[in-house]
Amino acid sequence: MALECAELVVGDVLRGAALRVQRGEVVALTAPSGAGKSTLLRAVVRLVPLDGGVVRLDGTDVATLDPRVLRRRVGFVAQRPVMLPGTVADNLTYALDEPADLAAALDAAGLDASFADRDATRLSGGEQARVAIARALTRKPEVLLLDEPTSGLDAPLAEAIGRHVRELAAAGLAICLTSHDRAVVTGWADREQRL
Amino acid sequence: MSDVLVQGLAGIALAVVAVALAWRLGLGLSKELALAATRAVVQLTAVGAVIVAIFEIPALAFAFVAVMLTTAAFTAGRRIGGIPNGRVWAFVAIATPALTATGFLLAVGAFDFTPRAAVPTAGILIGGGMAAVSLTGRRMTEELESAHAEIEARLCLGDSARDALRPSIRRAIHTALTPAIDQTRSVGLVTLPGAFVGLLLGGAKPAEAASTQLVVLLSLLAVELAAAALLATFVQRAAVAPGERVRRLS
Repeated sequence: MALECAELVVGDVLRGAALRVQRGEVVALTAPSGAGKSTLLRAVVRLVPLDGGVVRLDGTDVATLDPRVLRRRVGFVAQRPVMLPGTVADNLTYALDEPADLAAALDAAGLDASFADRDATRLSGGEQARVAIARALTRKPEVLLLDEPTSGLDAPLAEAIGRHVRELAAAGLAICLTSHDRAVVTGWADREQRL
Repeated sequence: MSDVLVQGLAGIALAVVAVALAWRLGLGLSKELALAATRAVVQLTAVGAVIVAIFEIPALAFAFVAVMLTTAAFTAGRRIGGIPNGRVWAFVAIATPALTATGFLLAVGAFDFTPRAAVPTAGILIGGGMAAVSLTGRRMTEELESAHAEIEARLCLGDSARDALRPSIRRAIHTALTPAIDQTRSVGLVTLPGAFVGLLLGGAKPAEAASTQLVVLLSLLAVELAAAALLATFVQRAAVAPGERVRRLS
C-alpha cells in the first residue's frame, strides 16, 4: 500500500478518518464541505499535526520520517495553486536538482517552451493549476495529493487535467484527490472513498 | 523675550497649524497630532532638566540609556505582539547593536567618553534600532499571514521551515532598511539631518558638523541592519513549529 491512514484525529475536524491508496490508483476522497478533506491531505504531509492515528507511506510511519523527505515523496497541491514569485521556469526549477530538466517539467505541465519566461503569478487559473501539479512532480513523488484540482476551472481545462491525472496513475503514481464535482469523482477516480 | 522662549512658541504655533489643518481636512488626526506635540513639549522639557543632572552626575547616564532602551523596546514590541516575550526580544534586538556601536565609537575616540557625547550618540542609535525593529516586526507579522500559502508551497517542495521563511525575512529586512538607505543616500541633497542642523545652530563649524553627522549616519546603517536581522531571527524562531511547519503569529 503506497499510502495508508488509520484512525486520524485532528482536533474536532477529523475523528478517526481512514484512507488507503495503492500505486497506480486514483482515489477520490469525498465528504460534505467542512468535513476535513483538506485537513486530512494536509495532515498526511504533516502541515497539520496529528492528535491521533497513523499515516504510513510504503509501510513506514511518516512520523519517523524527516518532514522534508516526506514532502518530497508525497506531493501536495493545495486547492488554490500558489505560484512562487518569478517566472514559470523559476517555479518549475525550484525543486529541481538539474535545471536541464526544465523542458520535461514544462512538458508535464502541458505548456510549451514559450511559457518558461512568463510571470507565473500572471498565468490563468488553469495554467497555474498545471504548473502547480508539474512543480509537485519535479520531486518525483510516490504519492500525489490534489485538493479540489478543478476548483474554479472550466470544463475543457478540468478534462485536460483529468487526462493528465489518469496518465500519471498509469505511470505508477498513487493519487488521492478531493472534489465536489461528481464528474471528476466518476470520470477520474478508480474508487471513491467517503470520509 | 529669550531665544529659548521664541523657539518654543514658534514650534508650538506650527504644531497648532498642523492640528488645525488636520481638523479642516477631516483626517481624524487632530487629537493624535495634539497629543504627540504635547508629549514632545513635556518630554523634551523634562529631558533638558535630566540632561543637566546627567552632566553633573555621570553615573546617571547609564540609567538614562537604560530608560531609553526600555522605552524603545516597549514601543517596538507592540509591533510584534504575536511573539511570546516580544518586548524582551525587541530590547535585545535594539540594545545589542546600538550599545555595541556606541561602545565602538567611544572606544576608537570618534566621540569623547563623556555623558555629553555618549548619551546623544546612544540615543540616536537606539532610535534607529527601534525604527528598524518596528518595521521588521510589523512586516514579518504581515508576511506570516499574507504569504502563508507561499511559505506552505515551499514547505511542500521539501524546504525546511527556515528556508521557506527566508524570502519573507528578506522582504521584511528590505522594508526596514529602506528609510535608512534613502536617508543616507539623500543626505545633503534632500535633507539636512538633525545632528548636523543642531550642531550648526549650536555654533559648530560646518566641517565638524558634517563629520559628526557622517559618523552617525554610517553607524545607523550598521545598527539598523543588525537590529532588523536580529529581530527577524527571533520572529523566525517563534514561527517555526515542530515538524518543519510555520505557524502564524497574529
